[in-house]
Amino acid sequence: MRVPFEWLRELTGIEASVDDVATRLTNAGFEVGAIHRAGEHWDRIVVGEVARIDPHPNADRLNLPTVNTGSEEIQVVCGAWNFEVGDRIAFAPAGARLWDPYADEPVLKELKPTRIRGVVSRGMLCSTKELGISDDHEGILVLDPDAPLGQPLAEALGGEVVEFELKANRPDALSVLGIAREAAALYGTEVRSPIPEARPNEDGASESVVLGIDDAALCARYSAALVHDVKVGESPARIRDRLEQAGVRPISTIVDATNYVMLELGQPLHAFDCETVRGGYIGVRTARPGERLVTLDGQDRELTPETLCIVDAEGPVALAGVMGGLDTEVTDATSTVLLESATFDPISIRRTAHRLNLRSEASRRFEKGLPPELTVLALRRCVQVIEEIGAGRGEFLTADAYPAPSDPEPVSLAFDRIERLMGVAYDRSEVRQALSALEFGLEEDGDELRVTPPFWRRDVTAPADVIEEVARLVGYERIPDTLPTGQVMDLAPGEIDERDDEVRDVMAGLGFAECVTYALTSEARMARLVPPDLLDAPPDAPLGDADAWAEVRETAMNDAGRSLTDRLLPLDREPLRLRNPLSMEENALRLTGLGTMLETLRANRRHADRDLLLFDYQPAFLARDGDLPEEPNFLTAVIGERVSADRWNETGTVELPFVRGVVDELVARSGVPTDQASHDDLQHPTFAAGAAAAVTYKGHLLAAYGEVDAEVAAAFDLDERAWALLVDMPAVRAASAGAPSFSAWSEYPSALRDLAIVVDAEVTQAEVQDIIQRAGRPLLQSARLFDEYRGQQIPAGKRSLAYALSYAAPDRTLTDKQADRAHNRVVRALQHRLGAELRG
Amino acid sequence: MQERLDALLSAARTELAAAADDGAMEQWRVTHLGRRSEVTGLLRSVGSLPREERRAAGQAANAARRELEEAFETRQSELRRGADGAQADVTMPGYPVRLGSLHPLTRTLREIRRVLAPLGFRAVSGPEVEWDRYNFELLNIPADHPARDMWDTFHIHDKARPGELLLRTHTSPVQARVMEQIQPPVRVIVPGKVYRYEDRDASHEAEFMQVEGLAIDKHITMADLRGTLTYFVRAMFGPDRELRIRASYFPFTEPSAEAEMSCHACDGDGCPVCGGTGWIEILGSGMVHPKVLADVGYDPDVYQGFAFGMGVERIAMLKYGVTDIRSFYRNDLRFLRQLR
Repeated sequence: MRVPFEWLRELTGIEASVDDVATRLTNAGFEVGAIHRAGEHWDRIVVGEVARIDPHPNADRLNLPTVNTGSEEIQVVCGAWNFEVGDRIAFAPAGARLWDPYADEPVLKELKPTRIRGVVSRGMLCSTKELGISDDHEGILVLDPDAPLGQPLAEALGGEVVEFELKANRPDALSVLGIAREAAALYGTEVRSPIPEARPNEDGASESVVLGIDDAALCARYSAALVHDVKVGESPARIRDRLEQAGVRPISTIVDATNYVMLELGQPLHAFDCETVRGGYIGVRTARPGERLVTLDGQDRELTPETLCIVDAEGPVALAGVMGGLDTEVTDATSTVLLESATFDPISIRRTAHRLNLRSEASRRFEKGLPPELTVLALRRCVQVIEEIGAGRGEFLTADAYPAPSDPEPVSLAFDRIERLMGVAYDRSEVRQALSALEFGLEEDGDELRVTPPFWRRDVTAPADVIEEVARLVGYERIPDTLPTGQVMDLAPGEIDERDDEVRDVMAGLGFAECVTYALTSEARMARLVPPDLLDAPPDAPLGDADAWAEVRETAMNDAGRSLTDRLLPLDREPLRLRNPLSMEENALRLTGLGTMLETLRANRRHADRDLLLFDYQPAFLARDGDLPEEPNFLTAVIGERVSADRWNETGTVELPFVRGVVDELVARSGVPTDQASHDDLQHPTFAAGAAAAVTYKGHLLAAYGEVDAEVAAAFDLDERAWALLVDMPAVRAASAGAPSFSAWSEYPSALRDLAIVVDAEVTQAEVQDIIQRAGRPLLQSARLFDEYRGQQIPAGKRSLAYALSYAAPDRTLTDKQADRAHNRVVRALQHRLGAELRG
Repeated sequence: MQERLDALLSAARTELAAAADDGAMEQWRVTHLGRRSEVTGLLRSVGSLPREERRAAGQAANAARRELEEAFETRQSELRRGADGAQADVTMPGYPVRLGSLHPLTRTLREIRRVLAPLGFRAVSGPEVEWDRYNFELLNIPADHPARDMWDTFHIHDKARPGELLLRTHTSPVQARVMEQIQPPVRVIVPGKVYRYEDRDASHEAEFMQVEGLAIDKHITMADLRGTLTYFVRAMFGPDRELRIRASYFPFTEPSAEAEMSCHACDGDGCPVCGGTGWIEILGSGMVHPKVLADVGYDPDVYQGFAFGMGVERIAMLKYGVTDIRSFYRNDLRFLRQLR
């Protein structure tokens, strides 16, 4: 809400500066967003008078006004015609700075003498846009005829406009009077209410119009007045200036008067051309099926049955509280006006305004809930303004239909409750003073205080509301700093699992950079995680239909792949979709973070000169019928490049076993016995065939990792190889044995034996390891693979694996002979079971 | 004997000076001090000398051996100190060590948790997809209330219960969830992602992180709120920070307060960080509205307390001097590495 500061001053008598008032109001909860000083750049612009207008010798569309500034006469070239000899105007001589009305962005330009079609112009008559007052550039600003000649324009126009950012709970603050009441309370001055005394003829009956309210729940009060002998024309400068400064465009006397009173008192009013109201009746009701209305903006609207309307004897004439009808609009020909001042149901107005996307100054006020007491007061003031500016003669109707009067309820509280809530003591006199300054009624009964809010403060309904009034009027700076004392709380539900911190620490320790990505994504982005031709999905079902997926599950996946699709990479599921997405790029909640992470990898590829190891640890969203979705924390890591260092020399290498090393460490740190987790071939279209694995523990899928399928990588614009690791951390937690437990090691030295064997290439390392472990019992402590070789030095179809084995006994030092015996058992078992050959 | 020893020592010293690595050193040790070395041979041969010469020869051979051992040790430590005993070039870069990094938002969240933990605040989390009831209704924001305009909301398609599922617009619904489940005393903070239907720019995000604080007991006051916030800004931004609060409005608190701290960049003198005012808006807060307490089953005549909420990105931007909120979600490694 924009409030001309002089208007606020007029209603409060406050003499403090605009900055001081802005600070105090802000601290009391009436936040000032900006102070506009329209005159800041008007250093040389003055009030001038048009002394003479000559025609331009070379251009019919231009004229040559001569301006008297009080000290000299200056001729300029002008393209506007909306002024006459004798008018006072805003005059900018050469050298003044003005806003460029043709620039897209606000730009100040210095005015220079210019030759226009052969005539020199040594100044300019200004429009409101050039002055930065409004966007209106239609003609030049004609000032009040009383504006003193030669006076700086800033003084003549009165200067500062305070822009408030008001809160939803204070409909009374959407008015100059409401802010004035607050300011007066803070400064201890008296509010000078502009509302006139009741007029003797206020209860007078009129035969011309009957009023009716169908539903008092939707319209608590409907008051009206007639204005006769209407003169529609331009309002005086005083009215127009204030409207413009408040951001409301002046239109004509009657409309300006209603807007002026709305700004001043907060009550929206509407003016109907009385002659167009049919049947001498004005009523309020919801629309009937099939009813239509052409609104002021020229739109023919079909009215839904919940729309609250103003009707005449034949049908709707206005959307109550939102917009008037075109047929009953006040025009130059109007001679009698019906002024409406009503209290409509806030929810009904809010819904209609939202539904039609018509949010106006009026609807904003109605939807916050206005007090019914205000209607008649605003009507009285509006009639006064109209009469003052000579735009008509008012007659009140009996037409105050107020079926259900209601008064604000008093609130009772004990004085000591204030200290109990605030943690600071207030004198009773302070409490009384603060509340009286805000015009609350007070009654005291010992330690009990009974507070009756004024009619405009229906937001105050409970002791805490009253306490807030006292606290903010006295000032929050009275509140001291203390720390809460008392008992500590019990374990809380939903307590954050500190193991989540550890997951991040482990990943960072392993060289990965943590990313925080958006949960919002697009179905298309998730659909790119399988090769494009696989699903053959229509564009409206980007993730594919159930039949297509059933086939993919059958033909393109093994059991591990299906199990991955069941939860950790559930691309065949319906994602949660937004009803109102910002764009199609983020229309759904993610089922997996992998798509976004591959994009992040791609974006970093352009400039990263170091490792490309990234992870994200945020929830995925898995829909559940009739319940909130499950939001499991899935870890998503992507790897584009990894450098390992030999002294200073860095070489890039990523292979599948590197990714396995990461998953093993992560899973082991989470308390899962890694030697019991099995890694099996994974066939899934997101991953490259033959280069991916699934990690299961006791039949539960914990993780999947592998090289990203080349087509999928290409879909993310990645032309280098990429690896991905997905970990279902909740499943890992479920598999965890909890805190690690200690087991003693042998205090005697170990005997070390290396072993290199050649086996068929199909034999897996797991099989070899298993045989070594079984045959090596009980002395074998560990068997660590340290090399793999395939190539010319061994036969085709074979590979060589090399292990470092360690033997020890718990109770003695092994002799060479004992160690050899144990080692030979291992060798024989490998020869016997796998046909392994020892390699020299 | 002595001549042979002298010649041997001299030759061994020359060789030792040339030995530059572990291999050469080992070879030297085997040659000159090993079982088959000349000194060892000479020592063994002492027994075969005439009795009167034995004593002197034995002493000389042992002295030579000790001398060789000492020379070896000296050379060894020379080599360890640097080639040819020269000073190591300490300006050589270290071998590359590759730790990853935690996201600056994670670090900021942890710091907030760490700062508030000693005051008894436990960190809890709640769902990001929420019911309208928890996000609004239970926070004293009924349907069609104009206060709903304060939160532009993403709604979720749900045929079964249209209009009820949404992306939470603040972490406050977790307040209601916690209070529904446990009786006071309550002291929690709630970090987490929130969502607003809002176009992104340098200072607005559609997805961002908040931390909510809630303390409920029989006698928790607005002064306790102010004290907690003062403690918080000093712990986060330094002991010289001043806090000021002013009246505000949130539907779920009464009284409500906006908190500002004196600018940490200019100490309150006014600078671009604080827009020249010397003060920085840091969070919203207030005493929990009695209606909110009553709706979760607490007796508002017995229990009272405070709540506060802040944007984590805003705290992180102030701490790290980041000027565009979207940087946190671009995950550019150059950004992540700088703020590691």
